[in-house]
Amino acid sequence: MFQGLQFEPVSLPDHAEALRSEVREFIERELPPDYLRNSDFNTGVSAEFSQKLGAKGWIGMTWPKEYGGHGRSFLERYVVTEELLAAGAPVFAHWIADRQSGAQLLKFGTEQQRQTYLPRIARGECYFSIGMSEPDSGSDLASIRTSATRVEGGWLVNGSKIWSSGAHQNHFMITLVRTEPPSANRHAGMSQFMIDLKSPNITIQGIKNLSGESDFNQVFFDDVFVPDEMVIGEPGNGWEQVVSELGYERSGPERFLSAFRVMVEFVREVGDNPTEAQVALIGRLTAHLITLRRMSVSVAAMLESGKTPVTEAALIKELGNSYERMVPELIRQLVPGRTSLRFRQTLEECILHAPSFTLRGGTREILRGVIARGLGLR
Amino acid sequence: MNDQQQMIQETVSRILRDHCSKEVVDAAEAGNWAAGLWQNLEDNGLTLAGIPEANGGIGGDYADSLLVLREAAGFAAPLPLAETLIAAHLLALAGEQVPMGPLTLATGDFSLKQEGQGFRLTGYASEVAFLPWAQVLLVPVAGGQPALCRLNPTDITATTRHNMAGEPRSDITVDTVLAAEAVSAMPVDPLTLCMNMGAAARAVQMTGALTSVLNLSVQYAMERTQFGKAISGFQAIQHQLATLACEVAACQRAADALMTSPEALSALDLAVAKARIGEAVSLVTDIAHQVHGAMGYTMEHSLNLRTRRLWCWRDEYQREAHWEAEIGKLVVAGGADNLWNLITTAS
Ligand SMILES: Cc1cc2nc3c(=O)[nH]c(=O)nc-3n(C[C@H](O)[C@H](O)[C@H](O)COP(=O)(O)OP(=O)(O)OC[C@H]3O[C@@H](n4cnc5c(N)ncnc54)[C@H](O)[C@@H]3O)c2cc1C
Repeated sequence: MFQGLQFEPVSLPDHAEALRSEVREFIERELPPDYLRNSDFNTGVSAEFSQKLGAKGWIGMTWPKEYGGHGRSFLERYVVTEELLAAGAPVFAHWIADRQSGAQLLKFGTEQQRQTYLPRIARGECYFSIGMSEPDSGSDLASIRTSATRVEGGWLVNGSKIWSSGAHQNHFMITLVRTEPPSANRHAGMSQFMIDLKSPNITIQGIKNLSGESDFNQVFFDDVFVPDEMVIGEPGNGWEQVVSELGYERSGPERFLSAFRVMVEFVREVGDNPTEAQVALIGRLTAHLITLRRMSVSVAAMLESGKTPVTEAALIKELGNSYERMVPELIRQLVPGRTSLRFRQTLEECILHAPSFTLRGGTREILRGVIARGLGLR
Repeated sequence: MNDQQQMIQETVSRILRDHCSKEVVDAAEAGNWAAGLWQNLEDNGLTLAGIPEANGGIGGDYADSLLVLREAAGFAAPLPLAETLIAAHLLALAGEQVPMGPLTLATGDFSLKQEGQGFRLTGYASEVAFLPWAQVLLVPVAGGQPALCRLNPTDITATTRHNMAGEPRSDITVDTVLAAEAVSAMPVDPLTLCMNMGAAARAVQMTGALTSVLNLSVQYAMERTQFGKAISGFQAIQHQLATLACEVAACQRAADALMTSPEALSALDLAVAKARIGEAVSLVTDIAHQVHGAMGYTMEHSLNLRTRRLWCWRDEYQREAHWEAEIGKLVVAGGADNLWNLITTAS
């Protein structure tokens, strides 16, 4: 039975706000003035920037110190992530490792895996890809066919993953594979492997997206050997693990800030002399954004208190994605006559990326299904 | 929520469950004052929560009363609870005693001039809420020396109609001499304060009604069967309700920032709430009525008690466009590079 929604009001503690100023100063110092800022987390890649963030202690913030983490709260982590996104900083190199792969290792990995990889991730040196989707398995993730067969000391992987963001530049991919043939229980018999993307017998082919960048790939596995020590968690437990991973993937501020720089540049363009329609649109978009942000802070607080906000994460992603798709569409109607090159580039980049907002990390339709389950409808 | 508020919420829900049936709301629409319901709430101190005891209230926080408004809106209570609260707050600010019974106020274009021992009040207002049932009408006057005037509703010429929600709304024209005791000097501009409290109250009420609309819609979808199964089993319905839930969750978070005193409420938080919640009404009522089918389009089903109120409340105390412009002006004044800072400082 439907029990109501669970977004508790939360305000950020003072120490989180103090951290905010520190992050702002850091970003202003580090980003070159002519850098074209993009608040879509999937865009800018800079290993150098990621390492500097690592040195500041802003990667793996919530992990225990013994694994190179910083024992800080999810609310503090929230502040750092939203500041980086809002400023349009190049964060993609370490983003997935920090957001979800590290969390997977912490939760399901062996002691040896944690000790080996978490400190490297936290230093901003070790980057991960997500290996879920396949050419014939998108939303229906349980239908994957990439398989692994048992061999001496490990497994041999065959098959292919697709849309693997950053696989051409990242070090590892947490890969969902079938370790047993499909059975009546569709969710049984899967496992997560941490695959070194530089292993022999792996081919990585870039795929161009609408803006012409090849930031995702198809990855082919032809008898790729994965040693036992690279299995994450128990073989067969892959589905449960992947569901847990999606919780981290869906709830953050990257799900409503992708178009934020378009708003900033629009405000710059209209300057001191906006039309009434421009003022009203800026007001409307701001009202949505403030509200989404409050919801996201609530989710961060739930994570902090050890809850798994599955429905809430889906809800904020769905609402946030719709919002970030609406931003460029509404702004383009009210663009002033003369605009700067920077504005046009920012807007066009956003329009070209926008179709991905409601696909990546679970489509709009899949999220609505998750919310409907939370409402008790299915 | 603190313990006190938990208790208030439980008491209000209990009273409303027992005394705010659909029959009571229907009777109010037919012109019958819901005296029993009002009396019950008043006897339990729920009409003047957050008004200082020294002024005849029952003390506590202003937010306690907003909680009452939210719960009552979920039941479509046909009472001037918001108007009474705002009027009482203004009276307390003026240092006056708050009378028992329902109160209301007129926000319009009024001016006040000294005349003999008293004052002449002239002006007009439209859509004064619940005037026929109010014991006292307050008129806040902004120009010159800010003042609060107390009038007897029966002394006023009014054209009263029922709005879309079946609640009395009156257009009034006033040209009358008031005794000095009926006019209080105000330490602040009472009109702006009144408009802001009104907008906050309506936003909170909308949130209560929207939450109730979500619950009714989910429940209806699980009960109604077509093609041999509950309509909640159809993906199209599930997705519609998911969208509805997203909107309601957003409204709840937008309204959270309002749960404070009128003096502590930030202009930005208020504008965000009235704009965002008002905007949600269109989508939510569209989906809720679609899911309810023809049954939801009847007076018999209770969905309409909420949706018709939502269609009125979103327009009262300024529509979304006004509040969006307020936010937009703040953003534009701060400039592009301060936009993010403005967003993070909104509680
Ligand atoms: C920019 C970008 C980056 C990505 N990065 C990664 C990555 O790093 N790693 C990775 O593993 N994947 C990645 N993905 C893949 C992403 O997870 C998938 O695109 C997504 O899960 C949807 O799968 P699909 O594209 O195959 O669409 P499909 O599942 O084929 O869906 C097509 C359409 O059908 C709808 N549909 C499907 N099933 C249902 C249903 N049951 N009910 C109603 N409608 C349905 C979908 O909602 C969609 O509208 C990325 C995608 C994008 C766009």
